[in-house]
Amino acid sequence: MSCNLLHRQPILRRPDGSGGALPALTLITLFFVVPVVALLLRSVTEPVPGLHNYATLFGDGTYARVFFNTFLVATVVTTVTVIVAFPVAWMLAIMPPALGSIVFGIIILSMWTNLLTRTYAWMVLLQRTGVINRTLMDIGLISQPLPLINNLTGVTIGMVYIMLPFMILPLVGTLRAIDPMTLRAAALCGASPFEAFRRILLPLSLPGIAAGGLMVFVMSLGYFVTPTLLGGTSNMMLAAMIAQMIQSLLNWGLGSAAAFILLVVTMALYALQLRLVGAKRMTGGI
Amino acid sequence: MLLDYDRLGWLRAALLGFTGLVAAFLLLPVVLIVLLSFGSSRWLAFPPPSWTLKWYGELFADPAWLEAALTSARIAAMAALLAVVIGLLASFALVRGQFRGRNVLRGLLLTPMVLPVVVFAIAIYAFFLRIGLGGTTAGFVIAHTVLALPFAIIPITAALEGFDKSIEDAAIVCGASPFEAKLRVTLPAIKIGIFSAAIFAFLASWDEVVVAIFMASPNLQTLPVKIWGSLRQDLSPVIAAASSLLVFLTLSLMIVTALIRRKLSK
Repeated sequence: MSCNLLHRQPILRRPDGSGGALPALTLITLFFVVPVVALLLRSVTEPVPGLHNYATLFGDGTYARVFFNTFLVATVVTTVTVIVAFPVAWMLAIMPPALGSIVFGIIILSMWTNLLTRTYAWMVLLQRTGVINRTLMDIGLISQPLPLINNLTGVTIGMVYIMLPFMILPLVGTLRAIDPMTLRAAALCGASPFEAFRRILLPLSLPGIAAGGLMVFVMSLGYFVTPTLLGGTSNMMLAAMIAQMIQSLLNWGLGSAAAFILLVVTMALYALQLRLVGAKRMTGGI
Repeated sequence: MLLDYDRLGWLRAALLGFTGLVAAFLLLPVVLIVLLSFGSSRWLAFPPPSWTLKWYGELFADPAWLEAALTSARIAAMAALLAVVIGLLASFALVRGQFRGRNVLRGLLLTPMVLPVVVFAIAIYAFFLRIGLGGTTAGFVIAHTVLALPFAIIPITAALEGFDKSIEDAAIVCGASPFEAKLRVTLPAIKIGIFSAAIFAFLASWDEVVVAIFMASPNLQTLPVKIWGSLRQDLSPVIAAASSLLVFLTLSLMIVTALIRRKLSK
């Protein structure tokens, strides 16, 4: 009898301490894993069992173009974001706190502002009669408005804007962790500033650049809102195509096959990132 | 001396200038939207020909906007509460637990943050259609709790890792029950982490667009869905007015957060 009582411990207080994870595990299994797996099953069962949905996706030039667009935009956005973010993160890492907190404040304000608000602002800024085209024409740099919206240029500008904080903030952490003495030592040994940058500062910040860059790349691949609003219909990206297949065409088989491809690519890159930086370091960004 | 602010020489001016430009780039759309919301031009000409409050008038004259905002606030509050409670329990297991597969579990619980939201959106949309939760508040709250959970777990586990467990053990030695020790010693010590978790989880739901577009029904619209619908029609300045209020809300949230964090860390 007493034995029996001992075994009836409350479920949340299991001796190995795993009980607390139970509600979270139930939530994620029931409302994340099951729906996603069920969706992916539809890609090989609808309209008839088989891999023909994937054959269609890989065989058709229209879809090839969407894949190409998606990777192109993600690559360009990541490259530009890294190049722009690095000097800013560098300054933020060593700036006097009073000045730095102003820049941090601006970054957080932009990051926390509603995503649709920011995208709407870029739609207004980039349109034919928008502020940018009007200013450039007024100062005589161009005579015709530049096509800045409903094409991949617009998508890239809007995406870089959204991704910058995600690159800058983790990079500041990486740069702050570098011991300034290593650079002093380099200078004492006669290294020029350029050499010290190329051989010390850049290699030491490479893990942060790789981790942030990979995160920006992965996020860009699956982004829906900004490419849809700034890209127009002829330059569709993968996420928008998936949504369209489901919402307008009601083609669940093809849509879930495309979703599966996006999922596999994303998860593979995520695994690579975990290997690069470790699960704990990666989540230090927020 | 590349990491010494005082000895950067000419490079400092260049880097500071560049940082200033990027800060301006980040600030530009936010400031522009606020200015345009007071401009009289329907086509959002800048600088505006004159100043007006009529877009705010139109915004408040249409009850659908306020209703959408209230719906968003209600769903976000419930999702944030659920995510923080579930995330808090999970964080104890992830930080203190001694069981196999702890890192796999951590990875699994954080996956909703990594998986492209459009994939989750169509998956949960199909699932909820089948089990009858499509277009309901409960469905919205569940889906948003899943998405908000990683944003709750990350700050709470970080805070918990920084807390010395022997303090909690000391309370137990002094006669507190394990539950009481957690409630009265550990939770107050990690309150900044819990507070950040609540803010992030709330924002994750409040700003969520993609799941909301799929889940929304004519009677249940969140604010992002309402903005999305208007954006697809035209770039009306009424959206600028709504957006400016959102910017104002963000700013107040930032200030309140900074104040509370300062107060909590005392």
